[in-house]
Amino acid sequence: MSGGTNSTEMTATPATRVLGVSAVAATALMILLGLVISPADVVQGEAVRMLYLHVPSIWIAYGSFVLTSFSSLLFLARSKRRPDGGRHYDRLAGSAAEIGVLFTAITLITGMLWGKVTWGTYWQWDARLTTTVLLFVTYLGYLALRRLPVDPMVRGRRAAVMALISFINVPIVHYSVDWWRTLHQKASLSVGRRPEITGEMYWTLLYSVLTVTIIAAWLTVHRYRVIRLEELRDEETLEQLISSRRNEETADTAEPGDTI
Amino acid sequence: MSEVATVATGWGLTFVVVVTYSLWVVSRGRAIGRELGIGEAESPGSKRDTDLTTDS
Repeated sequence: MSGGTNSTEMTATPATRVLGVSAVAATALMILLGLVISPADVVQGEAVRMLYLHVPSIWIAYGSFVLTSFSSLLFLARSKRRPDGGRHYDRLAGSAAEIGVLFTAITLITGMLWGKVTWGTYWQWDARLTTTVLLFVTYLGYLALRRLPVDPMVRGRRAAVMALISFINVPIVHYSVDWWRTLHQKASLSVGRRPEITGEMYWTLLYSVLTVTIIAAWLTVHRYRVIRLEELRDEETLEQLISSRRNEETADTAEPGDTI
Repeated sequence: MSEVATVATGWGLTFVVVVTYSLWVVSRGRAIGRELGIGEAESPGSKRDTDLTTDS
């Protein structure tokens, strides 16, 4: 970040450029690894290549929703103590939630396609799929709430509460395959559990997670910046309206012959 | 749908979704930046925040 009026609140352009170039380069290598170098599975065949999109997408969605909840919590806790009302926490929550929704949508799309090949159907109302679609719809509601035309601080508090309530579903989605009998397979990678895959497939999956993380970070930073720009525009519009109204009032109250 | 067609559709749709969203975010930033006059040449001492550039 360089110096400026609001420099502490802004994102650094050189850094986002580096992040953007890294995302493009990492994606190129991910395509090579995921579609060419990594082998087909003995059971699932070529369809296993969906793994390199499906698993990273839901991990990023989880991560984004964790960030949304954490930022919302900080917004609620600190909004009254900070001079700016802690609105940067609200902005971060909003940008992360949008990225989370995007990657949940990708998880659902890739999962449905993968399901058609492995299960013979695009959709099944089993625990994992149902809770995931509920997660998607809930956070869509959160994003809709953020667009309500009310005072930004009031809207921020309402959105923060909804973000915290919505987050309850994240562990339910993750553990649904352990808690209930589902058509969906258990997690390919899980902390404290031996991975279900090994070798080139394992490393390709880890690399895909890294790549999608870089992409999500770039998107989150840019979305944050756009939210800030939207706020500046709204503030400027409001100032213009107030100024215009004051001018009208001054003109109305000025008696004929008065000089302004 | 064959396995290869499924994989191609999945990867293709994913990239279309991500690229479309990325372009939307960048273009929206640039559009609002232009509206606010951010990123344009400014006179010294201007109050406008020059850090809010809209380039990617």
